[in-house]
Amino acid sequence: MSRSREEIERIERAEASWRKDVVEPRVQRFKIPASPTRFYTPTAQRDFDFLEKVGFPGQYPFTAGNNPFEAWRAHAEAGARLGIRPDYGASSAGRYGGYGTAEDYRDYLRAMQARGSRGGPNVAFDLATQCGYDSDSPNALGEVGRVGVAIDSYRDFRVVYETFTGERDIDKVASNFTINAPCAVILAMLAALADERRISPSKLRGTPQNDILKEFIARGTYIYPPRESMRLFRDTLVFCRNHMPAMNVNSIGGYHIREAGATRVQDLAFSLANGIAYLQEGVNAGLSVDDFAAKFTFNAFGGSMQVYHEIAFQRAARRMWARIVKEQFGARAPRAMMIRQPIAAHIGCTSTTLQRPLNNIARSVMGGMAAGMSGGMPSAYPPFDEPLGLGHSLESIQLQIDASRIMIYEAGIGNVNDPWAGSYFMESLTDEIEAAAQQELDRIAEMGGAVAAIESGYMQRAVAQSAYERQRRIESGEDFVVGVNCFTGENELDLALEHTAIELYDPEHLRSAEERQLAKLAALKRTRSSTAVSRSLTALEQEAKDTNANVMPALIECVKNDATLQEICDVLRGVFGEAEPVKL
Amino acid sequence: MKNESWQKLVEGVCEGKPRALARLISRVESRTPGWQQAMKALYPRTGKARILGITGSPGAGKSSLVSRLAAGFVERGHRVGVIAVDPSSPFSGGALLGDRLRMREVATTPDVYIRSMATRGSLGGLAQGTRDVSRVLDAAGYDLVLIETVGVGQDEIEIVKAADVVALVCVPGQGDSVQALKAGVMEIADLFVVNKADRDGADQVVADIRGMLALAGDDSGDLERVFSTNALSGEGLDALIDALSVRAERLPQAPDRAGERVRDELLTLLESGIARRLRARIAADGRLEAAVEQIRTRQSDPYTLAEALLADLAGLEAESHD
Amino acid sequence: MESEQKVRVLVAKPGLDGHDRGARVIAYGLRDAGFEVIYTGLRQSPEQIAREAIQEDVDVIGLSILSGAHLALTKKVLELLREQGAEDIPVLVGGLIPESDKEVLRELGVAGIFTAGTPISEVAAFITSQLLAA
Repeated sequence: MSRSREEIERIERAEASWRKDVVEPRVQRFKIPASPTRFYTPTAQRDFDFLEKVGFPGQYPFTAGNNPFEAWRAHAEAGARLGIRPDYGASSAGRYGGYGTAEDYRDYLRAMQARGSRGGPNVAFDLATQCGYDSDSPNALGEVGRVGVAIDSYRDFRVVYETFTGERDIDKVASNFTINAPCAVILAMLAALADERRISPSKLRGTPQNDILKEFIARGTYIYPPRESMRLFRDTLVFCRNHMPAMNVNSIGGYHIREAGATRVQDLAFSLANGIAYLQEGVNAGLSVDDFAAKFTFNAFGGSMQVYHEIAFQRAARRMWARIVKEQFGARAPRAMMIRQPIAAHIGCTSTTLQRPLNNIARSVMGGMAAGMSGGMPSAYPPFDEPLGLGHSLESIQLQIDASRIMIYEAGIGNVNDPWAGSYFMESLTDEIEAAAQQELDRIAEMGGAVAAIESGYMQRAVAQSAYERQRRIESGEDFVVGVNCFTGENELDLALEHTAIELYDPEHLRSAEERQLAKLAALKRTRSSTAVSRSLTALEQEAKDTNANVMPALIECVKNDATLQEICDVLRGVFGEAEPVKL
Repeated sequence: MKNESWQKLVEGVCEGKPRALARLISRVESRTPGWQQAMKALYPRTGKARILGITGSPGAGKSSLVSRLAAGFVERGHRVGVIAVDPSSPFSGGALLGDRLRMREVATTPDVYIRSMATRGSLGGLAQGTRDVSRVLDAAGYDLVLIETVGVGQDEIEIVKAADVVALVCVPGQGDSVQALKAGVMEIADLFVVNKADRDGADQVVADIRGMLALAGDDSGDLERVFSTNALSGEGLDALIDALSVRAERLPQAPDRAGERVRDELLTLLESGIARRLRARIAADGRLEAAVEQIRTRQSDPYTLAEALLADLAGLEAESHD
Repeated sequence: MESEQKVRVLVAKPGLDGHDRGARVIAYGLRDAGFEVIYTGLRQSPEQIAREAIQEDVDVIGLSILSGAHLALTKKVLELLREQGAEDIPVLVGGLIPESDKEVLRELGVAGIFTAGTPISEVAAFITSQLLAA
């Protein structure tokens, strides 16, 4: 698209007279202060180099997509003819969930399997587990089994997998764990399970979230200080590469950082900075970047209603990461340079509104369109009743799935690879987002990298500030949110839909979960060998103190001996200390 | 609770009731009518507490350090009050007081009382407000009060008026640690604490400070003035606490500094008192408005009228015009 | 030195829930509305909250909870306040509160419930007009 100077000048002259002869008079006629006209011409991309900036789908720099076609596209027609109903969630893992005790969750998984679910466990853990506390800790008050399943020990973990046998054993289904600070402990439990079942750990598949840095920035379930947490990450990374090479190593950044209020540019820069920090750990540990970077994944970049910008964001993100992995880290394997994202562009849950909730369907369709036009599968996520906080009803899920199907099959949104490639507008927007993110990334590098930027509180404050600014803009009316701060007159209808709450989670069970879990914990402590426990905890402490050692083998010993999650985490607290909150 | 008499509150403070203490601090801080009577009633019970001022720029780790110090002093048998000061917004008058977030360690320690204060743009500045609140804590039985200040600009200097011992906290890697030293803050600090001592450049900062002290003709005699700490790990804390204790105990031997502080306080009270009353008087009897009108219509000038009002109201003669 | 009464608000997140976007936004917002906000952040135990509220002599306590543990935690905070003679400090709860739980919270003694997305101005107005005028 590179143009000659004469051509550019001709266009510039034509533009100048267009502004004078066509735009200005119209602005005058409408008597508005400024023109809303935004039009991009070749002059915006006079030095556009297609191969450098875009390239081909499946080739560096991957701007146009990771692959010539995605799996969903290959199977789309077949899926329609078979009437496949997606078990929504990432790849071959089942629906994201978990609640109550391990027994409650196991029974839920069994019920899902009876309904035809073929995926592995996609596990949500309760906050006590995520923060390294047992269910009997005073810190766990009110939290046991609430936002996820309570796992206090390997015994609990094993129960979850009771229905995953035979055709669905752990070497045949993928396990996803939304766990970060105590990820090493959960992975140790998985390793112990494979051992117990005499399954080679090299056959295990799945994805632990294992992204501790974003916890400090956005999600808050951290335990140890940032540097010490990176040591644990390193140990999980090395262990996975050596023993569970089919497992993904992490699910980085993105989604949570944006939902916490980050701007798009901050989301991109902070996620990449975190990714760089993780890559560096691998390199420092002597691993080959071509090998381990290919097992990094990213967590759903997206999170606004601005369709064009979200498309440009995906393109910029892919290009930037590819360049970082290739040029900064010297990778050669294409697969190491890709942003592997099970869920692509979307609007984010914070873009949905409580007011006139059915409108959230229209909103989520915008996200699906952005996904379809930027290399992802069009998906109308989240379901409209997301903000009601009661779980997604059957009706909302049906509407979500059908909307996704309509985008795929009727509108053909995903039928063309990177349809905006070469657009003067989209290429400019992509460049802009990339430049802004690069600036932020450079700033973080100057601070000493992601860990330093987190220790100083820079990223946390930046996100909090952006969240506040967004709120101010909504409250002042500068940002429009339909049905919330505009179009809220009396004549507007608030449509309600009778919906069937899913109630997969028996509320009675949830109520008694804490009690039952405490009983189990007491029984565990009575029936295990306390000498074996204290021996393995002592060994763990030794390994933890040696920064060159890998704690995973010691962790596996601990979990096999029925040391509880908190007992293990407390030993590590003794060695690593606990993270301190940062000031606003 | 809200409308309790100050007498009841003073009683509550003397009986060690935490809520009464908190409520009285609020009233003193807000200058609610009766506050002076409360201060007068409490004054005889004061004089035992030593006030330690901790200042330094943001990011130096002051709050974590203060938390550690408080814990350390409690271990040595003290009852510690902490006043954490943050700036009020000049636009809204509100404030975000977030220091206690870093003081979790002592958040539920029985012998530690933490109070967050906003600067509130008061005329007397930081000094007067914290001085009064320190006194209330003193009367309530806290024998050590740690004041953590904002550490920017004026407040760093102000703190010396309220504190017996002042520690300036620096941190390596902040280009301005040397700047702060140049800004004249050095003169007011009794101790220098290089925090986050595990960081690169810590030793250099210690050396820089010692160098500047030597240049300035340090005359502290036998007492070490520069300390390295790591508030997160606890390293260096014992030595610092020892040093602060020694200095705090030596105080009665340094009457000139104490005298200066008393003088300053008395003058501040007089000045603000006079200002308040003058304002009230000339507003009430219309002289203020009359003067404003005269100046506006250029019948007179501000200087002449100000002098005339002063002479009239306060019996103060015109100042010499040299 | 003139000073004046300021409204002091404690903003805290009890329990283990780490999503503090709402709490931070409210903290900044109330500061800009002229309040003094004592922001204590994440992982506050009910004991810490009660102690902070008393020491800081706050006019209002704001709890932000999005994990669903609001009933147990709020109940504990209210209990502790009562035990320490501070039940007169109104408690507001914000976050993800299902309709069915709102009545339960009110019966426990919560003075106001603000679901996520409530404009800051509404919260500020509620505090000054409802809680403190009374």
